[in-house]
Amino acid sequence: MTQTLQVLLFGVALGGVYALMASGLTLVFGVMRIVNISHSALMIFAAYIAFFAFQNYSLDPILSIFITMPVMFLMGVAIYKIFFSSIKSTERTGELTVLLTFSLALVLEGVMGYLWTNVYRSANPSYATEAIFFGPFFLPKGQFYATVLSVAIIILLWLFLKYSRIGYAIRATMQNQAAAQVVGVNVERMAMISFGIGIALAGASGSLMSYLFTFYPGKHWEWIAILLSLIVLGGMGSLAGALVGAFLLAIASALVGYHFGPTWSPITFFLALFLILLVRPQGLLGKKMEA
Amino acid sequence: MSDAVIENGKTQTNQALESRKSSQKKIFLLVLLAVLLLFPLTQFVVGGMNYWLHMLLFTFMYIAMASSWNIIGGYAGYTSLGHNVFFAIGGYFTGVLLVYFKISPFLTAPIAGIIALLVGLVVGLISLRTKGSAFIISTIALMMLVKISFDNWDYIGGTNGMSTPLLMLPVEVVKFPFYYYLLAIAIAAVYLSYRVRHSKFGLGLRAISQDETKAEVAGIPTNWYKILAFALSGLFVGVAGGLWGYYLTYLRPNIFLTVLIAAQMVLMSVLGGKGTVAGPIVGAILFIAIDEFFVANLGFTMLNIAATGLLLALVLLFFPRGIVGTLKERGKLPVFLDWD
Repeated sequence: MTQTLQVLLFGVALGGVYALMASGLTLVFGVMRIVNISHSALMIFAAYIAFFAFQNYSLDPILSIFITMPVMFLMGVAIYKIFFSSIKSTERTGELTVLLTFSLALVLEGVMGYLWTNVYRSANPSYATEAIFFGPFFLPKGQFYATVLSVAIIILLWLFLKYSRIGYAIRATMQNQAAAQVVGVNVERMAMISFGIGIALAGASGSLMSYLFTFYPGKHWEWIAILLSLIVLGGMGSLAGALVGAFLLAIASALVGYHFGPTWSPITFFLALFLILLVRPQGLLGKKMEA
Repeated sequence: MSDAVIENGKTQTNQALESRKSSQKKIFLLVLLAVLLLFPLTQFVVGGMNYWLHMLLFTFMYIAMASSWNIIGGYAGYTSLGHNVFFAIGGYFTGVLLVYFKISPFLTAPIAGIIALLVGLVVGLISLRTKGSAFIISTIALMMLVKISFDNWDYIGGTNGMSTPLLMLPVEVVKFPFYYYLLAIAIAAVYLSYRVRHSKFGLGLRAISQDETKAEVAGIPTNWYKILAFALSGLFVGVAGGLWGYYLTYLRPNIFLTVLIAAQMVLMSVLGGKGTVAGPIVGAILFIAIDEFFVANLGFTMLNIAATGLLLALVLLFFPRGIVGTLKERGKLPVFLDWD
């Protein structure tokens, strides 16, 4: 029993980080209907920034979010300008944007592989190897900090969307683009800002990833499949859904890993993805998805 | 009266033109076939042609794969980013039979294609319940699912894969069987693509790609059409995979199940012009030529992946109809490329 609870605790601890990773992806989909396949490649790019900042300037990976988030925000805005501002909304936009972000992911993978080779990397700040004890249970310190930070960032994002003026406009765009435009929302600008925010969230996730997981350029394919399964389960475009999906699947995969061995735990996500698409394509909290 | 005569005359000229075009095409095809069939013999005349044989058989393989992808991705408009799953299934099917039962892949490759087709039917039943982006996501998930399963399946060697025995032939002719086999596969795949394009089934697929709801209303069994298209598009990818492992002499999940192979099928079709018969062929030839140029000049680096991605993005943004599609639109498509 204690053992199972311990496994559940690991699952919950990872769930927060997964939720942060997925939140940017689901935000971008919610506002622009863009499935950003390059999300995890950008995450890994940010992880490299955090890794080198730690290695060369001993900057704490957690503090590095103050670098990765703004840098990735600007990168997101630039990507939006280059790829998406010229695309006219048509029947096939969904497919075209998936292919475009897919190509971007390939470019990022190739460039990162060329610059930094395919060596497995991971930053090792002191807290990565220490643990915190709660009675009979324990949690690696790094994971604990990461989860707390992730949840904090998600709450900030929620507050921003709920109470700020831009947040209002973004939510209006999510609900009904045409109507938002009629009442004077600059939809194009909101799309650009939310894409920037989405990529900034990928930046924060990358900072945490730099010491939580080992990474290399090609690793992002596995990550994107995992993140997509989270947001498909929760309902694409729904922030609450991403949270629910992240915790559910993180716990499920921790249990699968415990019972069948760690190499099988990622398969939970992909099987779940297939099952959801089969049973309830719109996800738990999502509306029916089109294109 | 006179109008009718003129109309009649026009039809006759058109018919004459058409038949002249079709005989030109036939001659073109026959010459091309003869050249390709005789090409390996230059090995005995000039010698040292193994590099060129390799490049050609590699091109044949990708022509077959891109043409197959085009059935679901081009005609039906359902982009699959996990099509290398069929490639891996084919490769491992013949690989296991060769390693454990000593049966030659030359015999089992067609069966590998059938297996890929059946897998396509089953997977299609599930993932084609979704549309658009959700379908694309499901194909990526499929690939990761298969990759993890293969990585952890000890019988087929896990991440280390399997080594297959060499084909024992003198070095001058060792590539010949692969060359002719892959040529046959390419011809068969292109012929399948051509037949689909000019059938009622193909017409239904095009209707689906343009407006699925209307297609459904018009009485097309869209679900079955899509599933069948997906399965058919796996067939020759499976056969090609069945030979490729034998040719490489080893099978490994991270060779058969890299996104790069899937991405290249997509890129070749889009570059040449997806939804056209000749597009994937032109795309495959062009891409392999460009790729080889890069490899020769920059060395085989990660930049290859970046170049593939960059090219795909550029074509999608500025050249979405591809070469064949754009030429056709401008009325400048050479006769020998016009098979639609």
